[in-house]
Amino acid sequence: MKTIYKTTIITLSLFLMTVLFVACSSTKDKYTDASDDDFKIEKSGAQLWGETCNRCHLAPSPTDYNDTDWDTIALHMRVRANISKDDIEKIREFLKSAN
Amino acid sequence: MKRILIIMLLFFLVGNIMAQDTKQSEIDSLVDVALAKKGFKPSKTQFMIRGYGHTGLNNVTTNGDTESSYVGSAFAPIFLFKHSDKLLFEAELEFVLEANNLDVGLEYANVMYVANDYLTIRAGKFLLPFGTFMERLHPSWVNRLPTKPLGFGHDGIAPGSGIGLELRGSVNLGGPRLNYSVYSTNGPRLKDGSIEPDEAGRLLFSNFEDNNNSKAFGGRLGFLPFSDSSTEIGFSTYSTNGTGIKDTVYQDVGAFLYAFDFSFIKQIPAISGMVDIKSQYNNSKVDNATYIDEEDGLPYTFNNESNSFYAQLSYRPTMADNDFIRKLELVGRYSSFNAPVGAEWAGEAEQYAFGLNYWLSWRSLIKVAYQTTDTIGGHDGDGNTKGFFIHWAIGF
Ligand code: HEC
Repeated sequence: MKTIYKTTIITLSLFLMTVLFVACSSTKDKYTDASDDDFKIEKSGAQLWGETCNRCHLAPSPTDYNDTDWDTIALHMRVRANISKDDIEKIREFLKSAN
Repeated sequence: MKRILIIMLLFFLVGNIMAQDTKQSEIDSLVDVALAKKGFKPSKTQFMIRGYGHTGLNNVTTNGDTESSYVGSAFAPIFLFKHSDKLLFEAELEFVLEANNLDVGLEYANVMYVANDYLTIRAGKFLLPFGTFMERLHPSWVNRLPTKPLGFGHDGIAPGSGIGLELRGSVNLGGPRLNYSVYSTNGPRLKDGSIEPDEAGRLLFSNFEDNNNSKAFGGRLGFLPFSDSSTEIGFSTYSTNGTGIKDTVYQDVGAFLYAFDFSFIKQIPAISGMVDIKSQYNNSKVDNATYIDEEDGLPYTFNNESNSFYAQLSYRPTMADNDFIRKLELVGRYSSFNAPVGAEWAGEAEQYAFGLNYWLSWRSLIKVAYQTTDTIGGHDGDGNTKGFFIHWAIGF
């Protein structure tokens, strides 16, 4: 059992380190020298809302809540649904602008 | 004379414009005050009560014997307290009427802090990201069927919640996305048979206080390969060095659990609707140990490995012209459960569930479902259970 246990811990730590590494190594270089990134159109908050917020439940409409409520819900969903900061910020702005 | 007239006219005009200005600013400030009084000024801290409830009618026939009952009246209030843009406290209470009792539970209660763009720290009692069903899909207004798949909840093998500490985060890799979570909680308890001999070898995950000093460690890694976030695959583990009560022979009986999950959701114009697939495989391996047979008092052991699986497919005709049809949803689910051969609770079960849902809003639906479960072995022996359910779930 001990070995399985150790392997798990090690694997998970490696995963975590990889994630942190990928996350911390700025994506800026990628944008400057990767040519196909130049053509990539940034997704709008509305599109991200349509693609992200219906993955588990039906997506609520912007008019379902007021700005203050959306701030709390966005924070709640960011953590609960493990949504990246970039995505949730755009979705939050969209929800607050369209309610 | 003309000049005097013109000057007077000018004075009159200017005066009038200025008066209008002051009137406008007065009105503006009055509106501000009124809005502030009405509470429209956003505050940094906020308190919200959300939650969900459900009720329904169950008609269950086990080996020819039918029981019918109105059930549920479950009420689960959720409290969200946003302390700042980074600090949030969440708690869910659960009130359920079951077997003539009111069961009250604390589903979760935890505090979370967004440390940086890629790291959030959570502490307290939280739903475990062991696969996705328990953490993301079990609330009755989210779950497309009135029942849980085999392997989850009471008598299940997948841990649902734990008390401890968790680190989680997510990153958008410019299209594909990666999310992770690692945690440590109080370890599970092993049922050693001293209280319920026919349950010997099972794990119990309600661990409000650790029964020994071994903690459980686990985590999940989720990957969304496509930029439209339609697909997610996840791998989770949960392991511990010891599950038995301290200073007993079971103290060092360890356990290792893992799960794979899959999710796909996309609107497909060719079939005029939204297709949603959810699936999870759970495997649980508890170290072999020797238990005492309740009937002959002799020791016995078995390979303590169990698994469960489910796959669910649902379809909503979101692009249909008719408003009524657009709110319908068809759902089918297969699930299976295999308990270890040689255990008192050994058995296999296979289940099919079919449902038709009507969505009243994004958070409220009526579910009509039929479910059939075939069991070999297990607590109640071989048999078949058929269930017919009408449930109404609402989130608020
Ligand atoms: C990974 C699954 C998942 C995704 C993706 C998701 N949610 Fe949720 N959402 C949930 C679950 C689970 C709950 C229920 C919380 C509970 O019962 O504890 C919930 C609850 C909610 C609620 C009810 C209030 C609350 O905070 O509990 C709102 C509103 C909501 N989600 C909005 C959103 C929005 C907006 C998005 C897109 C940014 C989103 N959700 C994406 C799983 C998800």
